[in-house]
Amino acid sequence: MCLVDVEKSPKPVPSCATPVAPGMVVHVSSEQARTARRAVLEFLLINHPLDCPICDKSGECSLQDYADQEGRASGRYADYAKRYNPVEDFGPDILYVPNRCVLCTRCVRFMEDVAQAPTLNVSERGDRAHIDIFEGELLDHPWAGNVVDLCPVGSLLSKDFLNKARVWDFDKTASVCPGCTQGCNTVLETRDNAVVRIRPRPNPDVNRWWMCDEGRLNYGWLNRADRIEAPLVRQAGRLVPVDWEQALERAVEVMGAAAGPWVALVSPGASCEALEAAAKLLAVKGGSGAFRVAEGPEAPLAGVPDLALRKERAPNVHGAVAAGFGRDWAAAVELARRAALVLVVDDDLADVERPVASGPMIYVGTVLPEEARSAAVVLPCANVAEEEGSFQNLRGLRQHYAQAKSPPGMARPAAWILTAIHDALVSRVGTRA
Amino acid sequence: MAITVKTLGRPQAESSYVRATLKGMALTFKHLFARKWTMQYPEQTSDADWTLSKRWRGTHRMAVDETGKAKCVACGLCPQICPANCIKLVAGEDEKGNRYPLVYEIDEFRCVFCGYCQEVCPEEAIHVGVDYENAEYSRDGFVYDLARLMKQPHEVSTLWDPSDPKGE
Repeated sequence: MCLVDVEKSPKPVPSCATPVAPGMVVHVSSEQARTARRAVLEFLLINHPLDCPICDKSGECSLQDYADQEGRASGRYADYAKRYNPVEDFGPDILYVPNRCVLCTRCVRFMEDVAQAPTLNVSERGDRAHIDIFEGELLDHPWAGNVVDLCPVGSLLSKDFLNKARVWDFDKTASVCPGCTQGCNTVLETRDNAVVRIRPRPNPDVNRWWMCDEGRLNYGWLNRADRIEAPLVRQAGRLVPVDWEQALERAVEVMGAAAGPWVALVSPGASCEALEAAAKLLAVKGGSGAFRVAEGPEAPLAGVPDLALRKERAPNVHGAVAAGFGRDWAAAVELARRAALVLVVDDDLADVERPVASGPMIYVGTVLPEEARSAAVVLPCANVAEEEGSFQNLRGLRQHYAQAKSPPGMARPAAWILTAIHDALVSRVGTRA
Repeated sequence: MAITVKTLGRPQAESSYVRATLKGMALTFKHLFARKWTMQYPEQTSDADWTLSKRWRGTHRMAVDETGKAKCVACGLCPQICPANCIKLVAGEDEKGNRYPLVYEIDEFRCVFCGYCQEVCPEEAIHVGVDYENAEYSRDGFVYDLARLMKQPHEVSTLWDPSDPKGE
């Protein structure tokens, strides 16, 4: 498809595989080059089914673009039946539709050269050639989802995304993967205020063009429906929804009254801005804070240096450390039971023994777990898809992410909440001497 | 100051109403015996002189295949092209793994009856219909769902002449 005309060359050459030479004169759209490309396209379309309406790749398909550029509405092979092979199941998230395949072998080469776990091959020859999987193998490599992006046509499909949406409906937002400390750059694709798909965003310093399957499929929680939608304050033993002004007022009241050391239980999933604001707030009367990280097996992408699904499955572990929070979660939880005030930022308090705190608790979070129902003030915050912020990855790179959808109800970014409390508190009690 | 009124001295034959009245009555009586164009709608609902054009674009109808299912494959082109944004479509997968519309609704109040949906449909599934009787008892009734669109009995519009698609 990339044939171009080179002067003094006997025939058109493929531009992707021809080195530039001194004095070379290339004609991209000469009559000969166009004819050659048109002929190649005709060959590709002989067996390509006319199922763009039900193909998930439709709208981002290279073959569709080429056919559109050439603009020929009918083929010369209409009288012949097209080759037909049934859909194959390649792995946990990948389907292979052999009819649509153009045999570019990008998927085979990705598995061989980049993942360095050869799983795919081209089986049979000539007209019968197709992509196949080695005997007894499964395309279940942790980075296998990249072959779906690489596929220029709709031959390799994600089961998760199958028949779910049309790609032209999406709003795309630059973001950073909240899955682990690697900090892969991503594009959040949203429709009707819900994240539908996550794809990698090229960044040569962090993730090249790739993204692991875990990060790809890690979007369900961004669309959770059981979110806190209004600030809640404790009145006569019950949590009552109030507006932001009253909620902040109460939070400042509670914090102003709490003298002794404060303890913060924060999440390494919060943005750098939120964690810095929390640290600043903590410093008003003195205190300490810690976070905990979920861990999983590390899964490197062999062909790319310094790229892996990291063991620590939270995006901002290093940002939290930089903001001054410790890793000793157990000690912090122990300390929280005796502290004059506990500030929880975005941690769901799962598996924390109740009661979490003996003193008052300020809970800033997206959802309201049972453990947080004893809080004095509950403030709803936005999740990573609903706010702007930044994460610091394990190489110290601080990466900005943008807002992809609107937060539910009255929820606001955690950084805004903590800064507002800090400012009000300082104007009331002054900074610590 | 008194107003001066100018009096035209026309002859009686010209200024008399009798002549004009007779002329008017003559026209009226002429029409009593002339051919009648009025169709007595709604008592009468069809008339040889009052057929709708084949290209009339009215409320929609969804074509069904031989098994009785909607032809629609939920490709999403009609909501995309719709200038009034009146089509709601959610794609899904049926028991055979085929793509089909989980939700397909057309808000006929929003629709501007441009016929683009029929023109763009690759499966010839959605059509605008040759129909004008759309009265409903509630506003909700004007949001046609898939079952209703499939049940519509009226003819579908022929947006162009198949023997002369470009209108030459």
